[in-house]
Amino acid sequence: MADSVRWLRIDFDKCIKAGECYYNHPELFRRTDSGYPALRIRRAATPAQFREAQEAMEVCPSRAISYEDDSTD
Amino acid sequence: MPATAATVSRPIDPREFDAVDFQRDPFPLYRRLRDDHPVFHDRFHNRWILSRYQDIEAAFQDSQSFDRAVYDPNGPYEFGRRHIFGPNILEYGNSPQHRWMRNVVAGQFVGERLDAFLPIIDRIAREVIATFERDCEVELVSQFSSQFPIRVISNMLGLPREDEAMFVGWYQALIAGLGFGGEHLARGLVARNEMWDYIDPLIEQRRRSPGDDLLSRITIAELDGKRLETKEIKGFVALLLAAGGDTTDKAIANMWYHMIYTRPDVFPQVLADPELWGNVFTEMMRYDAVVHAQFRQTTREIPLHGEVIPRGAGVILYLGAGNRDERVFRDPDVFDIHRDDLHMGRENRSGKYKDGKPGHLGFGMGPHFCMGYAMARQEASIACGHLAHAMKNARPKFAAHEGITSPSIDSGGFRSPRELWIEFDVR
Ligand code: HEM
Ligand code: SF4
Repeated sequence: MADSVRWLRIDFDKCIKAGECYYNHPELFRRTDSGYPALRIRRAATPAQFREAQEAMEVCPSRAISYEDDSTD
Repeated sequence: MPATAATVSRPIDPREFDAVDFQRDPFPLYRRLRDDHPVFHDRFHNRWILSRYQDIEAAFQDSQSFDRAVYDPNGPYEFGRRHIFGPNILEYGNSPQHRWMRNVVAGQFVGERLDAFLPIIDRIAREVIATFERDCEVELVSQFSSQFPIRVISNMLGLPREDEAMFVGWYQALIAGLGFGGEHLARGLVARNEMWDYIDPLIEQRRRSPGDDLLSRITIAELDGKRLETKEIKGFVALLLAAGGDTTDKAIANMWYHMIYTRPDVFPQVLADPELWGNVFTEMMRYDAVVHAQFRQTTREIPLHGEVIPRGAGVILYLGAGNRDERVFRDPDVFDIHRDDLHMGRENRSGKYKDGKPGHLGFGMGPHFCMGYAMARQEASIACGHLAHAMKNARPKFAAHEGITSPSIDSGGFRSPRELWIEFDVR
């Protein structure tokens, strides 16, 4: 699956602004003034990015982060 | 301490920070700082001071500009004496090392991992209470709060129960060394070395056959294929005693002080609805935060409120002052567990909440936000619930109380009552 692309998503209804994503994974997420995260990149494409995305999903206390496989794109 | 009437603005003499008055009641000086000197250059101690909520929040968040690095002992101002813990996470500023170390251990204190420890917390609270529950009176600080969190940590670490009292002794010496310096510092260092010698073989043993205790978990935790070194584990254990033990200890005492002395009128509501201990905790963390000061060093020039803080300057963030900022909290000097301008639930590292309300600054914010925030809240709520249940009709033993105070605000600056005598009816 190394050449597949995964779209990162944040569910802002679920997000509680805990900040774990952007403090732990600044490569993927950015803190905005409102406390909500913003995506730095929309797609995880490298193994390093996959790993970061996976870890971000795990540290998010409200399970607001997901990524979708999209190998047909 | 009740607020004094608005003071007439006058220049601040830096020696006021060393005065007993300030240690007893820093709030009038905090107000003068906020109102007239939002960026105060204390030339006498060679440091800068921020005191408004917004400025402190911004500094916590902008850790690139306000670094929490190890302070150069040859530098302009020697902050604290934290080295007593040995190598630990507090010594790493913005380094990737900090992020790594934090991530190895932080997960142990939240979520399911924390839930797994709740029965231990519950049991220890009841055990310590059992030592005085038939006495009709208790000095809460020595008999409960200085015993409870440290025993919790010792148990979480999985240390032999028969050594718990020894651990409590080391803890007290370490904390005294942190707060008073001098001869106490020397004793603190001795205690720390004894503790390290004691813990060394335990770490080795965990390496060989890890169990499910916290010491095993931090010994074998791996991130990016790396584990903590022995000296880092020992540094972390020492830090846990102070960062996780002493703070929570004092938080519980502050909560009870307010319930029985300043707000006996709302205490019955809390007794009737123990969920409200969460609100007592939150408002305590705002109104009488245990930790009042955090130290940072600037990595660039900071222009702010018409002043310029130079690069490489030592900065004190008085979160105890920010928590009383009238620009953010209405009637900031009133202890109100029902206030609607404070986020009452669990804290967020980002300091932002969906209810749009500001949070307290008592755990810091951002990259260095307290790692034990969820655990401290749980410990305090569980302990207070059991205490309230065991001590029927809890009331002050003495009508007068000197209030919440600090031995020395610059040497750790933890604030709490020295003693808290409570009378009660045996259940
Ligand atoms: C009511 C109790 C507590 C208070 C008032 C408190 C306060 C604080 C504050 C203000 C900071 C920020 C330091 C900074 O910005 O430089 C902090 C950090 C920290 N706290 Fe707590 N704390 C409490 C309980 C705990 C507990 C129970 C633990 C144990 C797990 C703990 C572990 C830590 C650690 C390891 C850090 C450093 C985090 C880092 O540098 O990334 N604290 N705490
Ligand atoms: S970690 Fe989750 S809840 Fe926290 S800010 Fe990121 S997405 Fe939101």
